Amino acid sequence: MHIPDGFISPQTYLPTYALAAGLWAYAAHRVKKRLDADTLPFLAAYTALAFVLMMVALPLPGGATAHAAGIGLLAVCFGGWMAFLAVSLVLAMQALLFGDGGITALPINALAMGGVGAFCALAAWKLLARLHENLALFLAGWLSIVLPAALVAVVLGLQPAIARDADGAPLFFPFGLSVTLPAVLLPHVLVGIAEGVLTVLGYRYLTRLRSRLAA
Amino acid sequence: MNRDRLLLCLYLAGILAATLVHDPVWLGAGLVLILLLAGGDAWRLLRRALLAILAFNTLISLSYALMAWWQDISPWLTLARLNLRVLLLTSLTFLFIARANLFRALDFSKGLTYVLGLAYSQALTFRRAHEDFRLALASRSLRRPRLMDRYRASAAAASWFLEKSLHAATQSAQALRSRGFFHD
Repeated sequence: MHIPDGFISPQTYLPTYALAAGLWAYAAHRVKKRLDADTLPFLAAYTALAFVLMMVALPLPGGATAHAAGIGLLAVCFGGWMAFLAVSLVLAMQALLFGDGGITALPINALAMGGVGAFCALAAWKLLARLHENLALFLAGWLSIVLPAALVAVVLGLQPAIARDADGAPLFFPFGLSVTLPAVLLPHVLVGIAEGVLTVLGYRYLTRLRSRLAA
Repeated sequence: MNRDRLLLCLYLAGILAATLVHDPVWLGAGLVLILLLAGGDAWRLLRRALLAILAFNTLISLSYALMAWWQDISPWLTLARLNLRVLLLTSLTFLFIARANLFRALDFSKGLTYVLGLAYSQALTFRRAHEDFRLALASRSLRRPRLMDRYRASAAAASWFLEKSLHAATQSAQALRSRGFFHD
C-alpha cells in the first residue's frame, strides 16, 4: 500500500493533510493524558515494533511473501489512538528518514492504515471478543489490512477524475477504480489472512509475555 | 528559525510546487536544479532515486502504455509527466534527507523529538537485527528453506521483536524516571 510521491494530486493530499493534522493533534491530546515516564517510551517502542513488523516477511504458499503490518495487534493491545499515532510515526519515519514511501501519500496512508485500519480492528475485537476471542482477533487483523487497502484503492482510482489536463489525460495516477479496486484489493484479501493469523498468535504471545514480565 | 527547520519548509514548498507544475519541461528543469544542488553527490542521488522508483513506475508505465495502445491514444506526454514528477519528488526527498537534520527541524516539540529519536534509534537496531535473522536463515540452509521453515523463522523473529520492544520500553521508562525527564 506504499504509494510513492507523484501519484496523488494536491487536490487530494492537501485536504487529507488538514484532516490528518486535526486527528494527529486530537490523538496526541488523548494519548498525552496518559503520557508519562511509562507510556512515552512505550509509544516509541511500539512505533519501532510496527516499523519492524512491516519488514517481517510472511511466507505465502507458492514462494511469494507478504509483509505484516501489525496494526490489528497494536490496536487491540494498546488502543486505537496509540495505534494511529504509532503507525503515523512509522510512515513519517519511513518517508523522511529512510526515504521509503511518499510524503504526499503520508496522510492518506496514515488515515487508511492507522485510522480506518486500527479503529475497525478495535471495533471488531470489542464486538466479537466475548463470542469468540480467536475469531475476533483474526477478523481484527484481516480488517486492518483489507479496509485500508480498499480506501487506498479508492483514493488512487479517483485521481484520473480529480486531476486531468485540457485533453482529458491524467495528471497523476492514471488508472480508474475499475483497475485499482481489483488490483489492490485482491492480493490484500489474501495478505489479510496472514495478518489475521499473526494477530491471533501475536496477541497470545504478548499476553503471555506481559504476565511473565509482571510476575 | 534554525537552518534545518528552514530546509524542512523549503522541502515542503518544493514538494507542493512539483505537484502544481504539469509541464514535463519544467519538471525536467526542476530535476536538473535538484541535481545541481546535490553537487558531487548528484550521480549517487539520481541512481538511488531511480532504484527506489524503478519497480512501481515500470509497472505503472508499462500498464498505461498498453492501455493507451489498446485505446489508440498517445501515452508519451502522460508517461513523461508522471515519471519526471516521481523522479523529481524522490530526488528532492533524498536530497532533503542527506542535507537536513529532521530531529533539529522538529525540536520545537520536546515530546515529538524524544519519541521520534527513540523510535528511530530502535528502528535502526531492529532493522539490523531483521537483516541478521534473514542472513542467519540463509546461511543455515543448504537449499531454499521450506514454507514451514520460513514460517518458523518469521515467528521466531517476530517474537524476538515483541520481547525486545517490551524490554526497551521498560528500560527507557526507568531511564526517563531516573533523569527526571517529566519534572524538568
